Amino acid sequence: MYTELHARSAFSFLEGASVPEELAGACAKHGMTAMAVLDRDGVYGAPRFYLAAKKLTVQAHIGAEVPSAFGWRYPLLVQSRAGYQNLCRLITRMKLRARKDQGHVDRDEVAELRAGLICMTGGEEGPLAAAVAQGGVGAGTECVRQLCDLFGRENIYVELQRHHCREEEARNQVAVEIARKLSLPMLATNGVCYATPDERELLDVFTCIRHHRVLANAGRLLSRNSERHLKSPAEMQRLFADLPEAIANTRELSSRLEFTLKDLGYEFPRYPVPAGSSQMQFLRERTLDGVISRYGPGNEKVGKQIDRELALIEKLDLPGYFLIVWDIVRFCREKNILVQGRGSAANSAVCYALGITAVDPVGMELLFERFLSEERGEWPDIDLDLPSGDQRERAIQYVYERYGKLGAAMTANVITYRGRSAAREIGKALSFDPETLARLASLVGAWEYKDEHDTFERHFHDAGFDVRHPKIRKFFELCLKVQDLPRHLGQHSGGMVVCQGQLDAVVPLEPATMPGRVVVQWDKEDCADMGIVKVDLLGLGMMAVLEDSLKLIREHQKEEVDLARLPADDPVVYGTLQKADTVGMFQIESRAQMACLPRLRPAKFYDIVVQVAIIRPGPIVGKMVHPYLKRRQGREAPECLHPSLEPVLSRTLGVPLFQEQLLRMAMIASGFTGGEAEELRRAFGFKRSEKRMKEVEVKLRRGMEKNGITGKVQDTIVQSITSFALYGFPESHAASFALLAYASAYLKCHYLAAFTAAILNNQPMGFYSPATLVKDAQRHGLRVRAIDVTCSDWLCTIERDGEKLCVRLGLRFVKGLREEVGREIVRERGIRGFASIDELKLRVPGLQKSELTPLAEIGALNFVGNQAGFHRRDALWQIERASRRAGPLLEGCEESDAALAEESATSAATIVGTNTANDPIPKSSIKEYSPLPPMTPEARLVSDFRNTGMTVGPHPMSYHRETLRGQGILSARDLLHLPDGSKVRVAGAVIARQRPGTAKGFVFLSLEDETGIANAIITPQLFQEEHVVLVNQRFLLLEGRLQNQDNVISVKAERVRPLGITRAETVSHDFH
Amino acid sequence: MGFACIYIPDFLLQAVVRGQRSLGDGALALLGGTPPLWSVVAANSAAFHAGIQLGMTKAQVTQFASEAGVPDSPARPPQVQICMRSEAQEQAAHAALLDTAWSISPRVEDTAPDTLVLDLQGLTTLFGSEEKVAQELACRIAKIGLAARIAVAANIETAIHAARGFPGITIIPPGEKRRRLGSLPLGVLTAEPETLDILERWGVSTLQALAALPVLQLSERLGQEGVRLSELARGARRRSLLLAQPSASFAEEMELEDAVEELEPLSFLLGRLLDRLCVRLDARALSVRAVYLRFELQPSFEKDFQVREEARKKPEPKHYRKVLSLPVPIRSSKTLLKLLRLQLQSDLPPAPIQKIRMTADAAAPRVTQNGLFAPAGPDPEKLELTIARLAKLVGQGNVGRVHLEDSHRPESFRLEHFAASAEQSRRGTALLWPRKPSATNAIAVGALRIIRPPEAVRVELRNAQPARVYFRGVRGEVMAASGPWRSSGDWWQEDPWQHDEWDLEIEFSSPVEAQHRCAPSSQEVNLTASQQSPPCALYRIYFDSLRQSWFLRGIYD
Repeated sequence: MYTELHARSAFSFLEGASVPEELAGACAKHGMTAMAVLDRDGVYGAPRFYLAAKKLTVQAHIGAEVPSAFGWRYPLLVQSRAGYQNLCRLITRMKLRARKDQGHVDRDEVAELRAGLICMTGGEEGPLAAAVAQGGVGAGTECVRQLCDLFGRENIYVELQRHHCREEEARNQVAVEIARKLSLPMLATNGVCYATPDERELLDVFTCIRHHRVLANAGRLLSRNSERHLKSPAEMQRLFADLPEAIANTRELSSRLEFTLKDLGYEFPRYPVPAGSSQMQFLRERTLDGVISRYGPGNEKVGKQIDRELALIEKLDLPGYFLIVWDIVRFCREKNILVQGRGSAANSAVCYALGITAVDPVGMELLFERFLSEERGEWPDIDLDLPSGDQRERAIQYVYERYGKLGAAMTANVITYRGRSAAREIGKALSFDPETLARLASLVGAWEYKDEHDTFERHFHDAGFDVRHPKIRKFFELCLKVQDLPRHLGQHSGGMVVCQGQLDAVVPLEPATMPGRVVVQWDKEDCADMGIVKVDLLGLGMMAVLEDSLKLIREHQKEEVDLARLPADDPVVYGTLQKADTVGMFQIESRAQMACLPRLRPAKFYDIVVQVAIIRPGPIVGKMVHPYLKRRQGREAPECLHPSLEPVLSRTLGVPLFQEQLLRMAMIASGFTGGEAEELRRAFGFKRSEKRMKEVEVKLRRGMEKNGITGKVQDTIVQSITSFALYGFPESHAASFALLAYASAYLKCHYLAAFTAAILNNQPMGFYSPATLVKDAQRHGLRVRAIDVTCSDWLCTIERDGEKLCVRLGLRFVKGLREEVGREIVRERGIRGFASIDELKLRVPGLQKSELTPLAEIGALNFVGNQAGFHRRDALWQIERASRRAGPLLEGCEESDAALAEESATSAATIVGTNTANDPIPKSSIKEYSPLPPMTPEARLVSDFRNTGMTVGPHPMSYHRETLRGQGILSARDLLHLPDGSKVRVAGAVIARQRPGTAKGFVFLSLEDETGIANAIITPQLFQEEHVVLVNQRFLLLEGRLQNQDNVISVKAERVRPLGITRAETVSHDFH
Repeated sequence: MGFACIYIPDFLLQAVVRGQRSLGDGALALLGGTPPLWSVVAANSAAFHAGIQLGMTKAQVTQFASEAGVPDSPARPPQVQICMRSEAQEQAAHAALLDTAWSISPRVEDTAPDTLVLDLQGLTTLFGSEEKVAQELACRIAKIGLAARIAVAANIETAIHAARGFPGITIIPPGEKRRRLGSLPLGVLTAEPETLDILERWGVSTLQALAALPVLQLSERLGQEGVRLSELARGARRRSLLLAQPSASFAEEMELEDAVEELEPLSFLLGRLLDRLCVRLDARALSVRAVYLRFELQPSFEKDFQVREEARKKPEPKHYRKVLSLPVPIRSSKTLLKLLRLQLQSDLPPAPIQKIRMTADAAAPRVTQNGLFAPAGPDPEKLELTIARLAKLVGQGNVGRVHLEDSHRPESFRLEHFAASAEQSRRGTALLWPRKPSATNAIAVGALRIIRPPEAVRVELRNAQPARVYFRGVRGEVMAASGPWRSSGDWWQEDPWQHDEWDLEIEFSSPVEAQHRCAPSSQEVNLTASQQSPPCALYRIYFDSLRQSWFLRGIYD
């Protein structure tokens, strides 16, 4: 029986064309009981291969192809755990000292780390092939002898591959001769690069990408044939009929490879505790300290919960994990970095007591089992939210410092080929020109909702391709094939893994692009699947906004705001939420959230928790939203699915909204244990499998029957559990987010200037573009001042305007202005103001013309030198000269030509039309002004949007309001006062387009004008008909019926047409 | 008064319409680019009005046109005709335009494919006023099927800008240049996009606004380009006319009173034409790079009575063309004639010739410096003659230097024209001493004689291996087989391939019975007659999986 022991997956980036799951599937299909995947330079695909193989009861052998200094590769198979650790160390050493994809291992290193590894002589990239090509049989024999010296005779197999190729067969004859001469075992392999012959085409395309060629000129770099697929044992036996021992040896070698990834040897680090104390004892002490500060002494309920949790933590031997997370949180608090645990950790009273989370799980009756259970047998997951940017980086660097370079690493993020990248790469290989590729890539949209028209065919058709053309057809097929194949390895945004001892013995490490960081070869999911504990240090824009807001409030309003002690029931905040006036607020600002707020009318904190959780695909798909809102509004009586579920569902009016409720329902109705309930959630989670779901459902129904819940009620309960297990929020997580939502709402309502400056400084983030945030702030009475090099900092700042505060936009919004140059301007200005644009250019020599131009165009140079009446075009006129210096000889020479001055004055008067002969331009300042006319309001708008993406001046729509009114077009504010069903015409700048997956093809548009935001609903049919207009136009005019349901106002569009009122390039934040 | 500018608006469209008059009415869009990625490169106003946009792809336009063709379509756009852009028609239109311009004035500047400038000096005595010259120009241009805008001004640039900016005929008196040009948009100027971008940011949109900017300050900001543009806007820029040179293509034509059919009299006539051409080339110190012959053939009246009805429907060729491309420029009319004769000997025109047009591409004569110690290569002219003689023997396209292609496709090579350059001679010298075979590569490889084209064979299989082979009228038993050696490729092309090769040792028996024989080709018949297969030999055969057939690729020596 044959076992394939030399295969590459697509994780040998660009040298393999099948994902590990496909290889494992093909292996099982051929009835092979084991298989080895040896990816190039690593074990990137090993976890996925191991898991897929495990499901198919195939034994997954691990190995790697490790490059030598001579260009060939050692094909190494892992025999034992020591071998695996050695392989990981070998790869880590190679990776950490070399540039990307350029490393190799030395013979000495291999000699040092050879234990537990078996070496094959390889195919065409192996050592034997290289030696035979160089020196024939003699060199080949010598090469194999050296390998025997290096790895030991018993660990060398002479590899034979047969791909129906003459040269290869000649090499095989030499290999057979050497094997017989040296009495070494022969081993048949197929050097597999893909699961099925069809995938050879993809491998050829990958070859082109790797060699920067196109198919037409790649020549013999491409495969000779399609023989590198996974062949059946019978086929291999036929191929090697003359050498049956080569086939038999595969079985023998496979039986020697005892290592599997189950035997990883990972150990979580032990937290250093004071002498005489154990980790558990130390944790207990820290927890009890926390309980007293959080709850006060003598809370029996809390005590019981804490004892229960600590007992389980001790049983599962997890105190080290909690202490390490506690240590990170402690560090953040010491350094004044905002930190808050999110996710299921908020279900733990221990986490709350340790200060890791901010939500009281006892008070909110949260389910601990959602976080940790004995049955599940996996590590708990604690995610920490930190302010994005430098603060998060400080926390990450702390972890590196604490656990060492080889003790902590970021998890990887496998970047895969998706619509656009796939189209671009494949198109390039097929020699499509860049313009066509760009057109195609721009049209390969990725709306969340896919209807029957949203196919690749449609995208190709939209891009103007005829899919019947053979070349285009091939392009199309390849684009489909390449979807989701790994492209390269990135770095996960915040997932960190730590290890007791050496992490490089568990998984190979690689240098990250960012200096001082290392990344493991596995992504977050793989790490979790392999039982490696990870701590997610996630950057959250809103945390940074809150932190920056507090700083600005302290600085400008001399007030100290403590987020932990905000007034709990602030009427202004709840009033604002009820009006859905929530632009910029965390998690409750989206169009869908705004449509829900006036119905839900939050009046207390728990309402915000519900609000955060309800607009999620789970409740929406499970049809929970409307029943809840109706019951909330008193239009429907609260009714639990079953009387026994009342304690679980009563506070959400009988409607299950949270994952915890789902678990509790399973526990009560079907008698599941906490762990079984969590297992149910996972069965319906992201990696759902039909078989597993069926099993769990059967168990669920059986349990319910035992408890007397049958018939329709049973079906309803099953449906509500299964429908949103995937997308529902855990209540704890919603509560953590609700805290942030409340804090952001509070700051926005009471400290608008600071909040606005902070949110602008942390862009991009959130649902709306800076332009919309500015306009919203202006509508709330905040004065926003334009960018001005005489007073703007790099970031937005707060200025005083008498008693009132206003926001000054920062230079960071000037497109194309480099940060170092912007900060240099601010630094120089701090020394002394700029007397002229020339001086600005002289003192900030790094300022390029391409940076001066936008500054001049947006009026940021108008106040340089304090010249009255100096306008944007004057500045544009000046910068052209300032950026074309006359050279050192003439630098500083005044223009002496009086005639020139006269001419300038005359010309200026002629063009500008404001200066007449009676009102001449003062000669002393002639050279500072220009003969150019000032910009029109339209030109200013165009410049503002082109160079900053926003305007602080009037909204583009306001210039045309009178005309629009004449055409019967209403403003957003006008809609508030119209009855439901009115026929209306409304227009505005499109600021958001959404096509949510749950909306069955409906598209939601938000149109902004000077009075506010109008919402529109586009039916799938109208979207099909007016696709191009709706997607491409910046300003739209809609006609349709007004819908006013519970003060949620929207226009159901019947007609749409573009509105050509300005050339300003307004920005829409589109969610496809 | 000085210059007239002819400007053809929508030149691409006009060039196509000129060739196909029927396209003149209605909406028309032109497609350009490389297949299959055609897109709209030009369209007339009716097409734009109908919804056509520049850059639309062929598929989009086709769909648009098909929707337009649906009578029940509610918002049916008008019918749009779609044509391909024609560079040949553009060249023809441009050449015709140049001829027309030269017919008025000998001093013509070929400014752009759609723009010509004429020096009008002295023409008023011939035609009257400038206006009359312009009218005459417009009239003659109309006769060649183009609609032009014509502007007359004292300087070249003013004339060009006025022609681009104003419809019909425009006469700009010397004192009114600035005023008349003032209303034109900046788009009429030829300027760098960056400069136009700066002017747009300055709010300068017309020539008047540009002209009003102070020149010195403008030069400080835009450099000499600014001064140039200012002068252009004021109509003050003067420059000399860049006279259009007659092309480097020389043509001679001869119409014959009596049609010629035989090679000898034809050679005589060709010799005369070549003499004329070479004299002209000699005067300009040029040589011939290529000769294009175009024979206009006599219609065969008498045959009309004999041929069948369906054959008569087949259009008879009216022209016959020959091209003689030379690796090195030659000016010897005798050599050229010999080469032409060799080409024509193997491939004479199918009908009597009544008109000969000979065009020569000219090039600078060959200059060579032989190395002192390098062996002299063959004389290129003699070499070319030899190659031509060989081509006559073996057929055109079967002579040249073999260049192996970088492909797995078996026998993949192309033939390149054989020419001995000095460098190649040196390389050839170096190869006079053959390389020693390296010890490591000393693997005995037998020579394989490739059969081209491959011969069809019939193969009987046993255990998926060839067991018996029938070809060349004989049957062979396979004594030993090695294979299959599998190769496939070009899967993204329209002609992919997939071969399974076998190396076979075949022992032949007596000639095969009739029922087992493959239908012999004429070549095969010759081979079987002249060359009897040896009793046992090594062959390479292959199975073409896409054609599902077996072929003989070659014989091992």
